[in-house]
Amino acid sequence: MINRIATFGIAGILGVGVGVYSALAMSGLLPGDRRIGDGIEINGWVGDLRQGSVDASPYLRARIARHGLLAMAKSEAIYFIRARDDAGEHLTEDCDYKISGSALPAGWWSVTLYNSENFLPDNMDEALSFNSNLSSEDAWSAIISPTQPDDGANWISSRNAGKFDLTLRLYMPAADALAHPQETIAAPTVERLECKEQAS
Amino acid sequence: MKKAFAPLLFAAALAVISHLAVIYAAPGAIMDRAMSMLSSRGIALHGFTLGERTTPQTQTVVRPSPDLAYSACLFDLEQAPAGLRVKMAATENYASLSFFDASTNNFRTIRGDGNGVDVRLLPPEMAATRTKEIGSPSNTGIILIRRLAPTQADYERAAETAKGDQCSPLEG
Repeated sequence: MINRIATFGIAGILGVGVGVYSALAMSGLLPGDRRIGDGIEINGWVGDLRQGSVDASPYLRARIARHGLLAMAKSEAIYFIRARDDAGEHLTEDCDYKISGSALPAGWWSVTLYNSENFLPDNMDEALSFNSNLSSEDAWSAIISPTQPDDGANWISSRNAGKFDLTLRLYMPAADALAHPQETIAAPTVERLECKEQAS
Repeated sequence: MKKAFAPLLFAAALAVISHLAVIYAAPGAIMDRAMSMLSSRGIALHGFTLGERTTPQTQTVVRPSPDLAYSACLFDLEQAPAGLRVKMAATENYASLSFFDASTNNFRTIRGDGNGVDVRLLPPEMAATRTKEIGSPSNTGIILIRRLAPTQADYERAAETAKGDQCSPLEG
């Protein structure tokens, strides 16, 4: 009888463990998983137009609550996250990058850098994002680096960011961008320039 | 084999139940925690509070935009049974007024378009019958005003405008 109770006890603990772990994994609540959703991928940028909506699945809702609490529904803003460069390597403060793009189908847009905890990196550089107000031409670019470029180029500071990711926000998205995002949103490229040499 | 069937079934049942419990409880729990944290940082219940300009040193919720000025109002419609009057003062730049329920759903967003917005938020048990009435799916939640303010000067203008915002209980 005692063996039987112990067997059920162990089975119960295992069952709860599997259930909790799978829920955390599937809803992006485990450390290291920073995807807002997985509905759309455009040029390495991942987003989900169901964010903030009552139509969002419980998994997406949990993911948004963890990584993008108070995100608005798609009629007002859409969000994409990218954590790797064009070559597929993790974005890190140890390297410099050039982010380049063209006009985006929105009333206003921005690219902002966040650390692995989903917060702005702890620095005083006042170069946390690049936005459409700073771009007078259709084609634009900015350098992502822990230090300000000497040549006056647009700058997003990665100082104290560690491994980071970028969030692309499109406010007041055009109707076409919502209907056919993959065809109409020219998501920016992120090219790695050079990396700090690691001490051996 | 027969002996193992019942414990395996028991484990599978608990796995499904605990999986669903976590999935459905997580947004509400995270929202609860966010509301408590905002409250502890001085965000008022039934009153808009303009946050400091978003910097790494002042950020309070995940992924804040440093280009926006945020004003937040926490609501609890059990304490405001006739609803709330919610007013967003007119802003020249982009502005939006968005409502979030206790499960994190953005149940309504109104864009400023250069004009002010004046609406009534109603408790779940009251039906919205007029265009300027919004029914809340839950008694508690957060109302957020976002104003485009990428520079310090923009933020100061937004702060001046925010003095005209209102989030106050209606008389029953």
